[in-house]
Amino acid sequence: MLNIAERYSFIGKDIPRRDADSKVRGLLEFSTDISVPGMYYGRIVYSPHPFADIEEIDTREAESMGAVVITPKDVPSKPFNIRLVSVNEVTFKDWNILTFSPRYLGDPVAAVAAPSEELAQKAAESIKFKFRKVYDPILDAFESMGSQSAPIREKILKGEEEIPVRRNVGAELNYLEGDLEKGKREADVVIERAFKTNRRYHFQLEPKTSLCVPEHDGRFSIYTTTQTIHNTRILIGQVFGIPLSKISVKRIPIGGSFGSSIQTNLVTLISVALCMKAKKPVKISLTREEDMYDHADYEMHLKLRVGARRSGELTFGELVNIMDIGAHQVQAYPLLGTALGWFVSLYKWKNIKYEGKAVYTNKTPSCAFRGYGAPQISWAVESIMDELAEELGMDPLDLKLKNYVGLGDVFWGQGPTVRSVIRSDGVKELVEKGKQLIGWDRRKPPSMKQGRYRTGIGFGRSFHTSGAGGPISGEVIDYTGATLKLNEDGTLDYITALQDHGGGTLEAHAKIIAEELGVPPHLINIVPSDTSVTPYDVCTHASRGTYVGGEAAQIVKSKVFEAATRILPKAVNPEAFKLVYDETLEQAVVYVEGMKDMRITLSEIARTSWQRNWGTIAATVSYRATSAPPTFTVFFVEVEVDTYTGNVKPKRVVAGADLGTVINPKLAEGQLHGGFVMGWSMAYLEDTIYDRRTGELLNKGMVVDYKIPTSQDSPKLEDFKVIFANTYEPTGPYGAKGLGEAALNPVAGAVANAIYNAVGVRFYTLPITPERILEAISGGGKQ
Amino acid sequence: MSSLNRMNTRILPTSFNYYEPRTIDEALKLLSELSPEVRILAGGTDLIVKMKARQVEPKNIINIKRIEGLRYITEEKGKIKIGALATWRDLEKSWQISKKIPALFDAISVMGSVQVRSMATIAGNLCNASPAADSAPPLLVHGAIVKASSIRGTREIPLDKFFLSPGKTILMPDEIVVEIEIPVPPQRSSSAFLKLSRTAMDLAKASAAAYLEVEDGKVVDAKIALGAVAPRPVRSLSAEAELIGKPATEETFSLASRQVVKDISPIDDIRSTASYRKKVSPILVEDALKLAFSRIRGELG
Repeated sequence: MLNIAERYSFIGKDIPRRDADSKVRGLLEFSTDISVPGMYYGRIVYSPHPFADIEEIDTREAESMGAVVITPKDVPSKPFNIRLVSVNEVTFKDWNILTFSPRYLGDPVAAVAAPSEELAQKAAESIKFKFRKVYDPILDAFESMGSQSAPIREKILKGEEEIPVRRNVGAELNYLEGDLEKGKREADVVIERAFKTNRRYHFQLEPKTSLCVPEHDGRFSIYTTTQTIHNTRILIGQVFGIPLSKISVKRIPIGGSFGSSIQTNLVTLISVALCMKAKKPVKISLTREEDMYDHADYEMHLKLRVGARRSGELTFGELVNIMDIGAHQVQAYPLLGTALGWFVSLYKWKNIKYEGKAVYTNKTPSCAFRGYGAPQISWAVESIMDELAEELGMDPLDLKLKNYVGLGDVFWGQGPTVRSVIRSDGVKELVEKGKQLIGWDRRKPPSMKQGRYRTGIGFGRSFHTSGAGGPISGEVIDYTGATLKLNEDGTLDYITALQDHGGGTLEAHAKIIAEELGVPPHLINIVPSDTSVTPYDVCTHASRGTYVGGEAAQIVKSKVFEAATRILPKAVNPEAFKLVYDETLEQAVVYVEGMKDMRITLSEIARTSWQRNWGTIAATVSYRATSAPPTFTVFFVEVEVDTYTGNVKPKRVVAGADLGTVINPKLAEGQLHGGFVMGWSMAYLEDTIYDRRTGELLNKGMVVDYKIPTSQDSPKLEDFKVIFANTYEPTGPYGAKGLGEAALNPVAGAVANAIYNAVGVRFYTLPITPERILEAISGGGKQ
Repeated sequence: MSSLNRMNTRILPTSFNYYEPRTIDEALKLLSELSPEVRILAGGTDLIVKMKARQVEPKNIINIKRIEGLRYITEEKGKIKIGALATWRDLEKSWQISKKIPALFDAISVMGSVQVRSMATIAGNLCNASPAADSAPPLLVHGAIVKASSIRGTREIPLDKFFLSPGKTILMPDEIVVEIEIPVPPQRSSSAFLKLSRTAMDLAKASAAAYLEVEDGKVVDAKIALGAVAPRPVRSLSAEAELIGKPATEETFSLASRQVVKDISPIDDIRSTASYRKKVSPILVEDALKLAFSRIRGELG
């Protein structure tokens, strides 16, 4: 079998990203860089209390300064959900643009716009509130569910139906499969543990921004930070009652996201509201501090109970998932399903019980964060599987390989309604290779370690889906679209609404199209686009995105062949044609095998179609993937713990990924490096900590006290090995699967297992800080 | 009102009068007229951040960065003199610092990024009076003296006496630091600085500097100072007392370092906990002593 790079002209080869040069030189414009003449600057005014009811907002002073001010009275009051991904019937709606009932410190209650940022700032500060009631903030999910707690919300909308909220539980999902009691009876070993994850801030490079421009013909143009221009348009349309044809949301380069702009950002809706009132373009750029109050990861309290026979065969798995979702629902209900999906698709528990609750607290609203719950679930499951292996006297690798959900198994990562069968699986290959590279067989138990500095090796395994597509239409909306047109000189314009978060999604599209049509990637224009000129795309989420370009390219190809039959004498059947990239001509050639004169270049076909008035060769497709195949990842991590200070260093990493055909090896490696650092940070560093009294972030949103690793804190490049499995995904374009999130999911579990292997103590709360380690190993660990 | 509404780190959300004197005399005169409602701006890496976060809202700002002749590092008569406008980066590149004041050089290499080190001044780091100031423990163990000027004249303040409490120094409102002076240490001496932080380029959770002078295998002089474990950078006289006159051995260092808990009073904050700081302070001091001693031995061959 040829290797990927030999089999294909472009796929599997490292090609520099088209935006790399302009990014490095600072030429690429992000939303915050865009200004238009006559633009006003907006500032959002936040509730100074995390839990209160407002009687009155006094805006007189701000208005006397010449600022345009909006309060809850100026905006539509019907609740909505900022994330459009579930079908309407299961979309839980508790958001308003501005509110008289702030439920977290940072809940927008008013906004101002003025010709300068300084004036806007002054005006914002001049706004005064009269409170009807100020409550003590509820900052703990279990306290929130208690009978003593004040209701954070009493009623919300589910679809169009008003439903009551009981005990601050915003959504619930329970699930049973098999016979749990039987599973318990069959178990020789049962382990039960409670885990608590951290509440991380996404720390994407670009703080959220929105610029809304009123056009002369009554339309609105919107330049904003988003992973989904279409859902942003639809939500603006729904909330303000504006026809979609009057809104155009531009696809602007985004400075990273990690899920933080998977929904329509509130700042976008506020900028539209201000723009409508001011009748001026209004731009709002969040400061880093505001951004840190805007969004965070889901904090999960996980209770896991699992059982196995002596042989290592699992007999049951039980998971209670209490999620602290903060003050609003973004996608809490779908996440309850997805968390279950990650759990059941990791290992074959056989008999399963799941109880999931999404609980309101007076904290920053949680939204999707790279991995969408899988990093949390995988940390807990990979920890407990290691404990189970120890209890059974087994190598954790053997236990995991024996029980994992793999080839031929039914798999439903994205929740109960998104099921498919696994058709490619490189887990065993990755484990075998990784084991050798890290030196797994030399790994010693913690009891055999001594001295101040102790090393440990840990293993973690997980996966992520490629998209949220499936054979049936479930509760999740997932389809996309694109237009591809052959230009008059044989080059291509590719028009899609999909966003590239920085992972290279669109670059991969270009390569697939290049492979299909023999047009080098640099001659394919990824058109700066907006909602008006693109078919609907749900969102660049769930590591999806590589399918649609290939689909459009195949249609264009068949049209090219039809055109070829009109040019070449004797040609009758378009099906007889083949297309190949000719390296000497540096372009595509259409030919019939074995017929010397039946050969013509693609550019010739394009030119002829134009010159003879045959029309443009183009295709517009709307595409839904029929499966969401899992990308499997494994991490082997070696750490060194200083038992005197509790400091931990990552020494060596082996990252293995089964992403089917690797479209762009360097970018894929980069994803795994980034995934590791983010996972390390989750395991060891990050949390947003609240002042229990005031409900403020202890760091006040300042980055000086929110730390993520620097390059100096990361393993050296030579100590970081990446391996790819040799697999082919039959449902994927050219055999490929997505990678972005899978690259992160197993990391925290691997790190936690490595720390355990070094010091012999297990941690059930993230992050595993030096303070916690030193406390646990007691007295400075001097021995 | 919550700090979130008042903060706008994209701009300077306050109004102030701005002065840019060209001579030190001009600066001192302005300072005496405007004090106490005035702040001195040099590197700005602390002051501007605090202004954006609305922790301080000075009515007047005197930028001293344009004053000629305050940016120097020289050595004369057994003293290293550092001008008030010398940046961390200037010191990082100075062979006098790396060779003669090793603890300070250690601190420089773990303070901030190159960008921050290129703007921030050492004098500013002291005047900011953070308990976690990276320059303080090294300068304390090297017996640094701060020279402060006002229209009333210039006085010398031992660094030991300089810090009062978080953000507070002994400087009078009309005084300005013009120079830091460090005695050139004798032969057979060395020093070291270590810090624990969450990541690289971070503020200290705890830090320690040790200075040792060894003759015939005996400690003849020793100074220990710690950062981020008390309301101000502190010397540990208890540990020093356990070192001086003792044989320079690992056992001495270990015993002496355990004394530091007597001189510190750490707290819980967002960066760490009191109990952690208490546990690691002796470790840091012991490690710093060992490092300083290994440097002495290296120098003696």
